[in-house]
Amino acid sequence: MRARPRRLAGSGGGMAAAGGEGMRTEQEPDSDGGSEELVLTPAQLIRSLEQAWLNEKFAPELLESKPEIIECVVEQLDHMDANLKRAKKGDLKVSVHHMEIERIRYVLSSYLRCRLVKIEKFFPHVLEKEKSRAEGEPSILSPEEFAFAKEYMANTETYLKNVALKHMPPNLQKVSLLKSVPKPNLDSFVFLRVLERQENILVEPETDEQREYTIDLEEGSQHLIRYKTIAPLVASGAVQLI
Amino acid sequence: MDPAAGSGALWVGLRRRSANGEGGRGTRRVRVRCRRGPPGCRAPGTMEPAEAEFLAEKELVTIVPNFSLDRIHLIGGDLGPFNPGLPVEVPVWLAINLKQRQKCRLIPPEWMDVEKLEEIRDQERKEDTFTPMPSPYYMELTKLLLNYASDNIPKADEIRTLVKDTWDTRIAKLRLSADSFVKQQEAHAKVRWGRLERFASSVLGVFQMPCDCVGL
Repeated sequence: MRARPRRLAGSGGGMAAAGGEGMRTEQEPDSDGGSEELVLTPAQLIRSLEQAWLNEKFAPELLESKPEIIECVVEQLDHMDANLKRAKKGDLKVSVHHMEIERIRYVLSSYLRCRLVKIEKFFPHVLEKEKSRAEGEPSILSPEEFAFAKEYMANTETYLKNVALKHMPPNLQKVSLLKSVPKPNLDSFVFLRVLERQENILVEPETDEQREYTIDLEEGSQHLIRYKTIAPLVASGAVQLI
Repeated sequence: MDPAAGSGALWVGLRRRSANGEGGRGTRRVRVRCRRGPPGCRAPGTMEPAEAEFLAEKELVTIVPNFSLDRIHLIGGDLGPFNPGLPVEVPVWLAINLKQRQKCRLIPPEWMDVEKLEEIRDQERKEDTFTPMPSPYYMELTKLLLNYASDNIPKADEIRTLVKDTWDTRIAKLRLSADSFVKQQEAHAKVRWGRLERFASSVLGVFQMPCDCVGL
């Protein structure tokens, strides 16, 4: 079940001293009565942005893209910016809001930058995964990121061709980027904190003498384990990488 | 093992064993230095100290303002109202900013007290396992509060030394257990003892290297 934060209503008034201050949020009940949408307060939205940021930072591969979180956060920031522009200058509140906007903006851009670093690092595999994705599965690239990845791939191929390949003998002029670019190392170890209790996670043996065993993940506990074992839990939000 | 260097370069001495567990080519010491690139561009998988500090700044701390302001509705939650002389809780990033503008006085958290910290340090040195720390961000909070508000905190220097000693002991334990984790080729470790610092994964950011070396 995907969480889809709703558009949050803002108060009409700006930063007037008398009226409401900045964004007042109301949790409106879901008008279409759908069970798929989850209403998030802005505080929860920012928390989920930070969770996504930390997960993306520590995961060795590119995680699912979260367009709804990004969209809502940008909307909040723009709304608050517009409010601030209308407010009178020099007010203490203005500077406090401004500081908070900068902090949120940093998290957002760090998150997007981290994703771009991974896209550039693993671009053939990312595009391959996107191509072979089944219909209902969530995408790991936003439309803009997809366009970026394709362009990056085309540019790399053109560059390699012009700089080296076209000078090679005809039978050596092809290079498979999928084979030459290293894959993300899903076997790397990650630290995680458990948010929802999980049972019977299978841990594979490291050496031939060991046998595989299962562990239970208690809520709130911290573990060090290979990313591959818990990758689906990160995607579902049951654990948080730290 | 080399002690934690204060300058920012972290030397971690680890032994490398060949995958079949026998001496093979013999054991070799692997030294890894954490590169200091421009902020924010380190390889994914590590957290920089500045980022750990960024997260620590979200913790709440009590201040006593000398101005008045009605409630502020930030995106992340509501703050205030502020009345002169009345204590109020705000996030550290705001507290430090207000303190710099001389608009408030900071009240140190209750664990930032010489006796409590001495107790914690002694327990940390005695036990093999990690002691639960009063705050997951004790190191960053100490640094921030003592840098900007040391006049509001009694016995600031002693506190700084105590926290640094506790930190050193914990980091040494972390390295030892990580080293044995790698040597014994464990697949999973549960941190049984309270919470680790955020910075733990960064200190062990070189962790990926020995596992690759050993061919796991």
